[in-house]
Amino acid sequence: MILLRLISWQYVRKHLLRSLLTIAGIVLGVAVFVGMHTANQSVLTAFTNTVDRIAGATQLQITAGEAGFAEEILERVQAAPEVRVAVPVIEAVATPETRAKGNLLILAVDMTGDRSLREYALEDGDDSFIEDPLVFLAQPDSIMITREFAAENGLRANDALTLRSMDGPKRFVVRGIMKSSGLTSAFGGNLAIMDVYAAQKVFGRGRRFDRIDLAVQEGLRPEEVGKRLEQMLGAGYQVESPSSRGKQFESLSSVYGMLANITSLFALFIGMFIIYNSFAIAVTQRRSEIGILRALGATRGQIQVLFLAESAVGGLIGAGLGAGLGVLIARGMAGSLGNLLGEIYGVAQKAEEVSSDPRLLAGAVALGLVTSLVAAWIPARNAARVDPVQALQKGKFQLLTAGENRTRRVLAFVFLALVALSLVYGEGRLIFYGGYFLSIFAGVLLVPTLGLWLARGLRPLLKAIRPVEGALAADSLIQSPRRTSGAVAALALSVSLIVALGGMTQAAYASIEEWLRIALNPDMYLSPSQNLTDRSFRFPAAFAEEVVKLPGVRRTQLVRTVRVPVDGEPVMVVSLEVASIRKEVRLPVVSGDGDRMYGEAAAGRGVIVSDNFALQHRRKAGEMLRLNTPEGPLELPILGTVVDYSDQKGSILLDRTVYQKYWKDDSVNVVRMYLEEGVTVAQMRDRVAAQVGDRYKYFVFTNEDLRSYILKITDQWFGLTYIQIAVAVLVSILGIVNTLTVSITDRRRELGVLQAVGGLRMQIRGTIWLEAVTIGAIGLVLGWVFGAVALYYALETSARDLSGMRLEYTYPFRMALVLIPVILGSSFLSALGPAETAVRGSLVEALEYE
Amino acid sequence: MIELTGVTKRFDGKKQVTALNTVNLRIDKGEMVSLVGPSGSGKSTLLNLIGGLDKPSTGEIALDGTVLSGLSDDALTKLRRDKIGFIFQFFNLLPTLSCLENVALPLHLRGWKKAQIAERAHELLTLVGLGKRLEHLPEELSGGERQRVAIARALSVYPPILLADEPTGNLDSATGVEILGLIRDLHERLQTTVLIVTHDRSVAESCPRQIALKDGVVVQDRRV
Amino acid sequence: MSKWVWLLAAGVLWGPDAFGQDARQIVEESQRRHRSQSQQYEGVLEVYDAKGGKNEKRWQYARTGSYGQSKSVLRFVAPPLVKGVALLVHNHPDRASDQWMWTPELNRDRRIALQDRSTRFFGTDFSFEDLEERDVEQSDYRLLGEQVVGGQACYQVEAVPRKTRVSQYARTVIWVRKDILLPVQFEMYVKTELVKRMVHRRVEQVQGVWSTLELEMQDLKKKTRTVLKTEKLKYNVTLPEERFTLQALRRGE
Repeated sequence: MILLRLISWQYVRKHLLRSLLTIAGIVLGVAVFVGMHTANQSVLTAFTNTVDRIAGATQLQITAGEAGFAEEILERVQAAPEVRVAVPVIEAVATPETRAKGNLLILAVDMTGDRSLREYALEDGDDSFIEDPLVFLAQPDSIMITREFAAENGLRANDALTLRSMDGPKRFVVRGIMKSSGLTSAFGGNLAIMDVYAAQKVFGRGRRFDRIDLAVQEGLRPEEVGKRLEQMLGAGYQVESPSSRGKQFESLSSVYGMLANITSLFALFIGMFIIYNSFAIAVTQRRSEIGILRALGATRGQIQVLFLAESAVGGLIGAGLGAGLGVLIARGMAGSLGNLLGEIYGVAQKAEEVSSDPRLLAGAVALGLVTSLVAAWIPARNAARVDPVQALQKGKFQLLTAGENRTRRVLAFVFLALVALSLVYGEGRLIFYGGYFLSIFAGVLLVPTLGLWLARGLRPLLKAIRPVEGALAADSLIQSPRRTSGAVAALALSVSLIVALGGMTQAAYASIEEWLRIALNPDMYLSPSQNLTDRSFRFPAAFAEEVVKLPGVRRTQLVRTVRVPVDGEPVMVVSLEVASIRKEVRLPVVSGDGDRMYGEAAAGRGVIVSDNFALQHRRKAGEMLRLNTPEGPLELPILGTVVDYSDQKGSILLDRTVYQKYWKDDSVNVVRMYLEEGVTVAQMRDRVAAQVGDRYKYFVFTNEDLRSYILKITDQWFGLTYIQIAVAVLVSILGIVNTLTVSITDRRRELGVLQAVGGLRMQIRGTIWLEAVTIGAIGLVLGWVFGAVALYYALETSARDLSGMRLEYTYPFRMALVLIPVILGSSFLSALGPAETAVRGSLVEALEYE
Repeated sequence: MIELTGVTKRFDGKKQVTALNTVNLRIDKGEMVSLVGPSGSGKSTLLNLIGGLDKPSTGEIALDGTVLSGLSDDALTKLRRDKIGFIFQFFNLLPTLSCLENVALPLHLRGWKKAQIAERAHELLTLVGLGKRLEHLPEELSGGERQRVAIARALSVYPPILLADEPTGNLDSATGVEILGLIRDLHERLQTTVLIVTHDRSVAESCPRQIALKDGVVVQDRRV
Repeated sequence: MSKWVWLLAAGVLWGPDAFGQDARQIVEESQRRHRSQSQQYEGVLEVYDAKGGKNEKRWQYARTGSYGQSKSVLRFVAPPLVKGVALLVHNHPDRASDQWMWTPELNRDRRIALQDRSTRFFGTDFSFEDLEERDVEQSDYRLLGEQVVGGQACYQVEAVPRKTRVSQYARTVIWVRKDILLPVQFEMYVKTELVKRMVHRRVEQVQGVWSTLELEMQDLKKKTRTVLKTEKLKYNVTLPEERFTLQALRRGE
């Protein structure tokens, strides 16, 4: 403890800037970790709370895919002895024609019985009117809104409220206002209650319910009752607890979480380098100090502990700062994440409170601490090994000993051999990712050697540019690889990350654009919602029938997409008229007989699945696929796999007739229209408006609109990767600044001599700048090489674990070239500060510096 | 050539130290002077001030008519570059550059053309008797050889003033005598003004003029 | 239709000590006296909230069949917003009754599920369970004593539902007038707490049968009360069986 204060603190104080820069890597890594995870958690918690609040005392929910099921099921469920209360529910999303923003979630329940599951605290009006459940039930336009919604729109009991639904605008009368409660806070008050039978009529559900909410008899366990009910009802029905409704949301959330982990781990990894670097240098510089301590009686262990303690304190401070920073940025992130995820659910999900889980914070701090300890381990051990006699003699700094270098090289080659093996035999995930990490380690171990070679190679070039400044800059690097290899490694890793992500992005983009060209080729689209991914609005079949008959329409295709659980994951089933599709669209075939599969699928004798479905769910053409439908289990052979990017989790293409038969649902999500020669989109738009405009609400999208929409979403998704890139580059720049700061101290005498023999300030600066740019160049070149390997792994990871997208290996040459000015420029920028320090130093001290 | 008027240098540290106290001095062109005194007497400080490596707290220094105090850092450097050659106790050769490159260093800094640099560097090394060891690195040379290289470097543009801080301090006595002889020889040939700082009496006595310093003050100034 | 319905059925005057102290017999006999094969009336329902505000509805009611196996139809006639809404109840002696509600605006009926019986009947202080007819067999009875209520001497009988019967009440205390053997007050308990009280305010003889013409149900926890008034009460009217079916409900009869 005393040692820390006396010795470490002095050193830190003297080199305050350098010490701060050292822990900056930790700060960033922890900040990203805490920020992204907190945002993620907050939004997920808000969503789960919403689900819970709407669920109330519901213990189980029965659903049959998204299409709902017949009323009769309710009686069967109610008759089951294990069931205490069972009530039907319909959920719909409607757009209020008020000044309020966003959609309204309508929960339609059996008003005579739902109170046992959910508590609606009803508010009495200011006038003498008492809320009247009989009137509520007697009039199908009755609706109950939250106090928040009422306040926002200036509504009171018995006011009219118009909502826009699938079948057009509907007029409702507010006949109840709910007091603020847990339930009403779901969706920030954008929740309304109405009678379920009235909802059937208003929302065109026929005699079907969306789901049944139930509570089990006292003393029974919901999971067991759930299983029994599933058996009783048969395949096609799912009985789950309300929290599992969030599956789709959760899977998206988990992808985001994985991204957060990757980014922050990367930043921490680089931060680890910087710390290792700093400590390695510090140990060399403080040799005499260590020598004195040892001479005075400090044991090896004490020396080691001293350095580890220094690192630990730095790590704790850095992690603490990072955690604080992370909580701040979580707010911003939660907002954008909530919007992104809310698009899926239909109603925006606001994270009201962004509160950090203390466990997350503790974990992040621990992570920062562990990273700094691991980073300082080897330098601390070396410090302990310093020979006191040698240390007290004045002499040159330790160069990287030849022996050490050799060990690194040998180890690196061993790793590379293992990596090669893993590629040959690497089916298993463990082997694959093990090889991935080993390749990174091998690269890092080779950095000093490769960096040295490059520096030597660059020396003549630098000398040619500027004989003195250039040669000395190169010599500075050649003489102390230990000092520079850390910064070079950090930079190389960052560049490799950029190359890998860049390559992947480019490939993904190219693939998606190609798919867009092939698959999304209709002239125009009709959608019931402005938001193309929102599937809560659908066209009734009647709408489609009218549109199909319009003149000028060469062909229409009706598409219905629905999520169906396969292997526990929600997979998108795309039902369309396969025969019609076949004539216009030819998706690239990955496996199976191209001609035959379309024919068979059109006849309803099989399904075609997307390549990413096959990869993620490990299915092959020829296998049977089993889908649970409301009309019973459906088993069809997989006729083949094609490239389709309809959904990240994979898609199953099914003929519409099969869907209608088994899901008893003929609604439509999108109408694809091909126009006759000479007919323009504008003309057709008018014709559609003339035909159905007064009765239905729809949106028209041209081919261009759709493409740019999809590309926009792709951009948003990849936008997340740019955060990673920015973090990586930032951390690397810090590494260079750190290195230069030390380098200047090391080169003090040399720089002093330079000035003494007539070197002007600009020339002094010049040698520092050149040193920095050379580091940048070396890091860049190594990064390009490492990037080639990293790209391969990134593509494989994407295919195997992220999205199942099989992408082509294309090295992003253009991006690599763009990096030249970026990296060299930032290296130059990072040298500005240190260069100024160099020229400001006292010459006298420099020349006498020992 | 060199004129000091009322020069005082104070160092502000934990304790204030007055290294030089109101020194007045005048050195004419072509003189060979030794500055002698015990450690802490201020002789190195004086040398640094004259060489423009440091600035006095009060007083004025003039080199060849130019007053130093008004000059910017770059102007000072240029002056130093053109008028002064430095020789240090610990040679201060750049370890990664060969002898030729070390000698050529100041010329490169001035932007001379390659061919001219090569010619001059060869000339200088021959002058100090090292024509044969041009491509070697400093660590491959003996102490005396290194100091010769340093001297050659100091002479790169044939400056009128040569400042040497303990030039023989890091050499054995035989080599030291050699080096001293070389300096004297060069002084006669080139008519350079030479100022040698030393704590060694014998070195001091080899110079025609000896200035003794003690506690920052000139206590003796005699010509032999 | 409900307890109070069979209470409205007339009773015959009995002498004060016409039977022994057996509680069950008291209840059985009071039921027997106030039975009829059919009846109909027009009802006025006044619902008072905790602040004293009043909400009034009117309906037509018809009932047929023996006690415990009866069928009844209730159809609202006022106010206009609820006109046409109808309720059909089929009572069974051995199990819970079947109840359906018809809404003309939706043009459909819905079944009211068993579990919902404890919910309030359309905002009144009566629950769906209160509207059922339950056979004597479905409870156990105990004579607690005698008390004067509303100026009349009454037997105080405690009824505890048997396990075969699903009820929201743990027990009910009934005051039966000794003179006419007509129950005039009920107190309902959930667990050990008194939650509701029903008081027969006005009893008269109609067609020779002692009937309750005004009845008040008090919700002691919510501090609300509902008053039911009977008009145009007629007994032993010819009511075709067919009128008490779902089809009839849907036709709007």
